[in-house]
Amino acid sequence: MNIIVCVKQVLDPEIPPAKFKIDPATKKVIPPPGVPPVISVFDERAVEAACRLKDKQGGKITVISLGAAQAAEVVKHTIAMGTDEGFVLQDEAFEDLDSFGIAYVLGKAIEKIGAYDLVLCGRQSADWGNGQVGSILAEIMGIPVVTLACDIEAADKKLKVKRIVKDGYEVLEAPMPSLITASSELGLPRLPAGMRIMIAARTQVPVWKAADIGAQGPELDKAKAHTEVTGLSVPSRKTECEMISGDSPGQAAENLAAKLAKLL
Amino acid sequence: MSPVSATYWGIPGYAIFWVLFAIAAVLFAQRLYFLFRLMRLGKAENRFDNLGQRIKAMLVEVIPQWCNLKTVTRKDIAGIGHALLFWGFSLFLISYIIFIGLAGGFGASSAIEGTNFEVVYFSILDVAGVLVTIALIMAAVRRYIIRPERLEASAEAGIILILVFVLMALNVAVVGFGYSAHDINASWPPLGSALAGYLSGSGLSQGTLEAVYQAMWWLHYLVIIGFMVYIPRSKHLHILVSPLNILFRPLGHKVVLKPIPLEEAEYFGAAKIEDFTWKDLLDLYSCAVCGRCHASCPAQLSGKSLSPREVVLNLKEHLLETGPGLLAGKAEVPPESKAKTMIGDVVTEEEIWACTTCGACQEVCPVSIEHIRKIIELRRNLVLSQNKMPESAQLMLRNLQSRGNPWAGVQSLRLRGDWTSGLDVKILAEGDKARTLFWVGCTGALVERNVEATLAMARVLKAAGVNFAVLGDAETCCGDPARRAGYEFQFQMMAEQNIATFKSHGIKEIVATCPHCYNTIKNEYPSYGGDFKVVHYTQLIADLIRRGKLKLTKELNSILTYHDPCYLGRYNGVYQEPRRALQAIPGANFKEMERSKNNSFCCGGGGGLMWIEEQPGTTKINQMRTEDALKTGADTVVTACPYCLQMFEESIEHKDIKDSLKVKDLVELVEAAMKQP
Repeated sequence: MNIIVCVKQVLDPEIPPAKFKIDPATKKVIPPPGVPPVISVFDERAVEAACRLKDKQGGKITVISLGAAQAAEVVKHTIAMGTDEGFVLQDEAFEDLDSFGIAYVLGKAIEKIGAYDLVLCGRQSADWGNGQVGSILAEIMGIPVVTLACDIEAADKKLKVKRIVKDGYEVLEAPMPSLITASSELGLPRLPAGMRIMIAARTQVPVWKAADIGAQGPELDKAKAHTEVTGLSVPSRKTECEMISGDSPGQAAENLAAKLAKLL
Repeated sequence: MSPVSATYWGIPGYAIFWVLFAIAAVLFAQRLYFLFRLMRLGKAENRFDNLGQRIKAMLVEVIPQWCNLKTVTRKDIAGIGHALLFWGFSLFLISYIIFIGLAGGFGASSAIEGTNFEVVYFSILDVAGVLVTIALIMAAVRRYIIRPERLEASAEAGIILILVFVLMALNVAVVGFGYSAHDINASWPPLGSALAGYLSGSGLSQGTLEAVYQAMWWLHYLVIIGFMVYIPRSKHLHILVSPLNILFRPLGHKVVLKPIPLEEAEYFGAAKIEDFTWKDLLDLYSCAVCGRCHASCPAQLSGKSLSPREVVLNLKEHLLETGPGLLAGKAEVPPESKAKTMIGDVVTEEEIWACTTCGACQEVCPVSIEHIRKIIELRRNLVLSQNKMPESAQLMLRNLQSRGNPWAGVQSLRLRGDWTSGLDVKILAEGDKARTLFWVGCTGALVERNVEATLAMARVLKAAGVNFAVLGDAETCCGDPARRAGYEFQFQMMAEQNIATFKSHGIKEIVATCPHCYNTIKNEYPSYGGDFKVVHYTQLIADLIRRGKLKLTKELNSILTYHDPCYLGRYNGVYQEPRRALQAIPGANFKEMERSKNNSFCCGGGGGLMWIEEQPGTTKINQMRTEDALKTGADTVVTACPYCLQMFEESIEHKDIKDSLKVKDLVELVEAAMKQP
């Protein structure tokens, strides 16, 4: 079974909120010093899903990451987890792409990789959180998409997907190839272990430029440019503490319940 | 005349003597050879280096019985009993070779009988026999009446106590009946000749006395060779094996973790008994089930399921069960349903993750068993090959792997280099050179409470005129939590990376505040090519005070007690320097806790357990230690480790005793005692 996983390198979401700074002129986040970027948490779950399928069925997992040259680090991280190879898609032309542009470039890279049975993405990125790339990519490639998967099984050229819905999950069947986006409910990704850490550390991750995958020129321009960032700010956080009282603990609980009911 | 030279039912005594001996010798050798082959199932490890030094160190430990006497406390004097048994029994062992082997078996009795040598030696044996008997009674009273927690009232122990007592009694009886039967009138040896005197006057016929003498003599012999057969089949195997175990113990650092070779393997760590090294298996044979480890283990004492004694015993039992099948080339491996898995059935995951690696077990073990590295080998298998670990451990290891420190996310609101802002310290940029590095450590850089100590440290160093530099946000974890949690490859990568960093800056000397970093860089980096002079800050401060570079003049009216961090004390023997520094503080009234120095009780944070949840429903180890501190009447407990500091803070908070007890890092007190300009 051939699986392709799209992963994104993001600013570490564990950075304390007070350390986030934004350059209002460029509308970009200024990364604090000494904090290495990490793999987007949802994408890591997509990798975990791919590894679980590989554990059961065997096969090959290819990882692609669109971003800066340092994205090689997240590709290596996935290799340490159990993927087989990976590529970084980096080009000046790829900077500041919107979801459409990203999906277009990823699609071109997948075309170059060739045969696949399944494409996996995270449900959304841990930085921008648009949650669009997976679906647009499936549209571009003309394959079915199942979003928010918490469990994937593969058998007889078919995929059985548990998909998270508001009050539980539904089970869907999809043909191969399909695109599936992974949700957090999939569970904690594995800790890279054993020799794979060493293998990953020694791996050289090839970088594909725009010309390598044929994602350039007017086609790229047409693909992107559907959205524009008009403003970016750090959300202000305010904590208000109100003590709910009552004559008895039972009364206090009732008051609390009433308060919560009003807030919801 | 030795009874061996007589003839019994037409059979020469010599024939009986040697046939019995041969049978016992074969049974003895057969068992030892079997155990030896089982031990060889273990992996290779070189413990034959510096053999001369090893032999000397072993003799110095065993013959004066320092191995047992070192554990004697007012509450537990069993070590004295053991020493008496050892010395007494050694004398008897020699007597068996001379008076039974040479005199009986080789017919040399006429050359020995009646000599002064015999009289003196028999007299010594009389005294020794009494001492051994006293030790036996002590042992029996302890084991069956007092019943300390560490001992189990096993039948095995009872058998040996009775057998040794029978030997002591027979020793006197043989002399008594022999002297009276052969009309020897002597006043020495005291007990034997007293008995002989009594028997001579008892009216028993000479023939009866002779017959009883011969029967006693042969019974004595039978018990001795019975011993030979029984010992290697019981826990008393330790009599034969433990001196070897002490011979092959680690020479330098006490907790030697084997690096995993960098090659693709089917799996890592210890999944099966034969994945341990031969020395680990020898450890299992050496255990005398004294239970000292059990009684000193913080996990055990706080109600966790882990007991180092049970781990060793269960592994030994597992080796004896599975070993024959392994030797036979798997032919006799029991069917799948009966086969036990080592991790799970023999040692549970819960036990494996309860160890704080504090080293209390190894410190008190009289036979130098290395418990900790077995636990780490088991963790390695769980983490590296099975991806099984408590979720809290996994989160910590993931942070180490992707962020280079164990304190990420909600646990820290700081970034690595934050603490340096506003301080005039030299932060090494790429290409900068420095001789002395102040290694801050993850906890000292990231956790609010510990940052206070780090800042105090930087200020004290500056005040003392120490020329140092720091790595700022380029510092990463030393790898200790990764290694203790079994995440060996990550540790190796971190070690190599840090060593390269040190070398690139030309670092010669490293001052560490965290004893875990200190231990790792000092004792474990050399295996990866990192040889630096590593000092703990308490050593440096004690030295600066001694040289007059730090003047402590401000009176601190306070009752202090000092908590020895395991990785500073037991792991590295640094006990005196922190105490010297504290005693140099004017007005400090210093009190020791009952468990201190090498008997110090863990704070609960070592071995990765700083981040791993303690078994629910058990006592928290840090609360037990805080109780110890409270008992001294101190108002301040001082420590020299960031984990200990946090553990005490947490426990003081939990107990809500902030008004009566504070916890301080040693450097904070030193700074407070320095007269501000």
